[in-house]
Amino acid sequence: MAKKTTVQPALHKVIMVGSGGVGKSALTLQFMYDEFVEDYEPTKADSYRKKILLDGEEVQIDILDTAGQEDYAAIRDNYFRSGEGFLCIFSITEDESFQATQEFREQILRVKNDDQIPFLLVGNKCDLEEKRKVTLQEAQDRANKWGVPYVETSAKTREHVDKVFYDLMREIRARKKEENKTSNGRGKDKNKKKKLKCIIL
Amino acid sequence: MGPPPIVTGLSPNEGPPGTRIKIRGENLGKSPQDLVGLTICGVDSLLTAEWKSENKIIAISGPIKGKGDIIVTTRSGGVGSCNVTFKGYHIATIGPMKESAVWVEETELFTWGRHSLSPSSYQQEDPLGLSVEDAEKKIPEDDLLQFYPTRNGDITSNDFSAGWFLLENHQTTSFNDLHAGLVHLRRKVQGQKEGQLSFLKANIGAVMDQIDTLVNLKDRYEADLPKLGHEPTLKLEKAIKESEHEARKLFDEVLNRKDRAEKTRNALNVLTRFRFLFCLPCVIDRNIKKGDYDIVINDYIRVKNLFHKTDIPIFKAALNEIEKRITDLQTKLHQDLQNMPITVEQQKRLIRYLVNLESPFDAAWDAIKARSEYISKKFGLIHNYHKSLEKPDSKSKSGSASKYSKYNKSPNTEITIIPACVNFTDEICLSITETFPDLWKIGQSYFSGELQVKIEAGRQTEYKHMVMNVIETYCKYVRGSLIPNTLDKTERAQYGTLTLPERDEMALYLPELLHSVRSAYSTFIKLDLPSEALDLVNLVLLDLRIHCMSIMFQQTTEQIKQLTENWKINYTGKFTGVTELPLKFLNLIEDMMKAVKESVLSIEQREISLLENQMAQKEMEKQMNNMLIAFHNVLNNLSSSEDYDECENGTPVVSQLIGTPVSSHKTSSKSNIPIWEHRLLIILSNCLFTKITVLDMLVTKFKENGFPPLQTSLSSAKIKLEQLEKSILDKYLEQKSDPLVGTIEPSMYLGRFDWHLSIPPNDIRPYVKECINNLINVHSEIIHISPTLLNAVLPQVVETVAEELYRLMSCAQRFSREGAVQARADIIALQEFLEGYSTEKAQHYFKEAIEVVPPLDRTDEIIVEDILRQCRARMKIQVMCLRKA
Repeated sequence: MAKKTTVQPALHKVIMVGSGGVGKSALTLQFMYDEFVEDYEPTKADSYRKKILLDGEEVQIDILDTAGQEDYAAIRDNYFRSGEGFLCIFSITEDESFQATQEFREQILRVKNDDQIPFLLVGNKCDLEEKRKVTLQEAQDRANKWGVPYVETSAKTREHVDKVFYDLMREIRARKKEENKTSNGRGKDKNKKKKLKCIIL
Repeated sequence: MGPPPIVTGLSPNEGPPGTRIKIRGENLGKSPQDLVGLTICGVDSLLTAEWKSENKIIAISGPIKGKGDIIVTTRSGGVGSCNVTFKGYHIATIGPMKESAVWVEETELFTWGRHSLSPSSYQQEDPLGLSVEDAEKKIPEDDLLQFYPTRNGDITSNDFSAGWFLLENHQTTSFNDLHAGLVHLRRKVQGQKEGQLSFLKANIGAVMDQIDTLVNLKDRYEADLPKLGHEPTLKLEKAIKESEHEARKLFDEVLNRKDRAEKTRNALNVLTRFRFLFCLPCVIDRNIKKGDYDIVINDYIRVKNLFHKTDIPIFKAALNEIEKRITDLQTKLHQDLQNMPITVEQQKRLIRYLVNLESPFDAAWDAIKARSEYISKKFGLIHNYHKSLEKPDSKSKSGSASKYSKYNKSPNTEITIIPACVNFTDEICLSITETFPDLWKIGQSYFSGELQVKIEAGRQTEYKHMVMNVIETYCKYVRGSLIPNTLDKTERAQYGTLTLPERDEMALYLPELLHSVRSAYSTFIKLDLPSEALDLVNLVLLDLRIHCMSIMFQQTTEQIKQLTENWKINYTGKFTGVTELPLKFLNLIEDMMKAVKESVLSIEQREISLLENQMAQKEMEKQMNNMLIAFHNVLNNLSSSEDYDECENGTPVVSQLIGTPVSSHKTSSKSNIPIWEHRLLIILSNCLFTKITVLDMLVTKFKENGFPPLQTSLSSAKIKLEQLEKSILDKYLEQKSDPLVGTIEPSMYLGRFDWHLSIPPNDIRPYVKECINNLINVHSEIIHISPTLLNAVLPQVVETVAEELYRLMSCAQRFSREGAVQARADIIALQEFLEGYSTEKAQHYFKEAIEVVPPLDRTDEIIVEDILRQCRARMKIQVMCLRKA
């Protein structure tokens, strides 16, 4: 194991989910290349991977940017299976996209069969405060209900863009460490899990 | 060698052949030419690659299947690496029943490549002959790759793995079906082995036909051999060569002609260029005349570019000619630039021309200088013009002015001739608001570099000096024309030669002029001038405002001085015996205050309140004082002038027992001016009214209009009024009591009466009645004018009567018994009747008088009582008159 990490940095697989047009690709491109793409072009499925420093440790992030459109709903299962962490994006200017997060969350939990999967609820387009339709409280309440963090971002101004990716990767890393431990010593996994849950949240 | 390219992002990450892929990464080449290689899953796709930036390339995937890297190769970075993988796949068919993870560009699918890649060839028939619906749950390719490393499921591949294939395509197929598939496959393989022979058998007819045709062809060829020889193509070759030669001949001519045409064209070009050079002087002249300087400049720059290095004398000569024209033009433009008046825009355009013409002039600076000079010149012109106007004007004025004495001229007199200094100030304000902004604007654009001129060092201070100079001159002119006393002698000689009109006239115009100066000031403020310059104007404004205020005060003082009394008593209100005079005075001041408040006290932009200025306060105090003194003087003059008495000297002063009462009631019927005593009373009551009410009203009015309280001048006015009051009272008393008192003695001794005679007394003596009647007369007079004065005046009169009585009694040498009784009765009667208005002093005099009379015995006292009783009854009405209400 130790040998492997020295050769190849740890790879964290992140999947961007959310309705069409909420800014999944915009967030991804802003994070990857510091650019903001104005024109809207529906994504099919995009892959990105790069090396970054996470708390001084070199890791690789693999981002799968999925299609938000309803047409592709059936094939999402395939994608979700490979994800280690999820950014569930909605637009604070569109209530429908916020309601859709419920569906995404359920699908992910079903596919991963794990309610502790690293997951962040992200309200994008927070630069458009004047067009806000989803209140901070509403979103925060939903995140609390799920037991996940809620962050508001703006792909346009790059506000909190790095934060959501880094926060998610930290959760994935913590989760992987925990899994290693549980696989090593199965005896006391239940307690461990509960404790760790508190730390994450 | 730079860093190697690396691909970090793909959009999308899978797709059929023909998918447009956005490839993102780092160092993907510095330019389209730098990108020298691009493979997608091992298939070279450089042809379709579209280089967007160092981070982005767009390419179209080729005929690929399976996962692979995208490798970018650049000249600068060499062969690159890839972080992400692309997955190519072939889609069997896209139908309504089939779902696809990507958007399928069906058009591209059908047009891609040639026949070999037509859709039908994608459709791989299942080798087991089973209909394969796309499996619901496919095993991910990654997992398969783990199971069968280095193998794949492509049946055409060398690395084909049957296990992979079955897992991929027949995961859900039942064993029986698989078995049937195996049988099918075997049969097919068997069929292929027997294939060649059965093919011939089936097509024997066609094969035979082909052989026959070949034989026929051979026969024909051999038959033709003797006719055409062994080399039938030789002839043909010759013919082709010949035709080629002919064609060449044809085209040579055309080509030659084309060459010639080109040469001619070149020659023409050169000629036009020269023509341009030689005609340019004329063209320049024409365009200058038309004013198309832009064209001239354009031509000039062109000709300079074309010919400036020429050594050919004739060209040089032509160039010289052009240069001369241009120099002339420059001088002309430069003159135009300085020829005022001209708008800033025009100036800017001219400056641009001159800069473009590379003129030796410092055009922008000259323009600024010209403007500044123009302004001072215009000031001078306006000044001289008004000075010249003034001379004949003042002559006619002096003639007319003599007609009016300074005091008789009412402020309403129509003044048709506006004084020169007013016109001048107005015009100079207008002039500076028109001209100065331009100077400032062009200066700003000069220093901001908008004019594209090099700014020489020291210009900034020089310009500032210039601006300050203009402002200063303006200020001095304004001062000189309106308030010359604020300038020193030499400056006054330079700026203030216009005569000032009289005060009243000035007061009419000053607020208006103040407005003009203020509007000029606000223009300066809008231009955002440095505060140094603004302060200069502000100071002038301040002085002007103080002056204006002072003039307005003075004017009001003058008007107060001219106030006259109409002697009409106003009986309404709390104060009686008051005429309109004090109210007029109050109104005048009030009007003045309003005017001052409107024009002078109001604070405009960047001005300080006059009330905070000490000088202004002092001036205001002084002027207020003057005003109050003026009113005091008016009252004083009225009380001391008896000039219109001559017409009514017949008015009775007191009724007299001796001599004939002279024209007792010949009141002045011709004029409504009351008699002197009445007038005194009226003035007195006015005085009181002013002191008590009007001054208080003034204080409130001051407060209302935002003036300072001006306490000292008001209190001094109060004291003065009090003094005046006293002197008027004295005068009145003198007027009244002297004759009254004077009648007592002669009346007392009337009919040779003397105190030592023994005439039995049966009534009080007539002089007592007369005295009482006279007092009633005075009383009625005062009541008529102003009852409020009664207490101030009547007791004084009574006092003098008592004093006179005492004097007369003490002068009597001897009293007979009857005389003593008479005297006592007289004195007590007087004392009783006048009790209501007796002061302590008067009482004292009465007592003294009684003491002088010898004491009486009991019977005499009864006689006195008797007389008094009778007297009281008889003179009941008189007693009632003198009783206090």
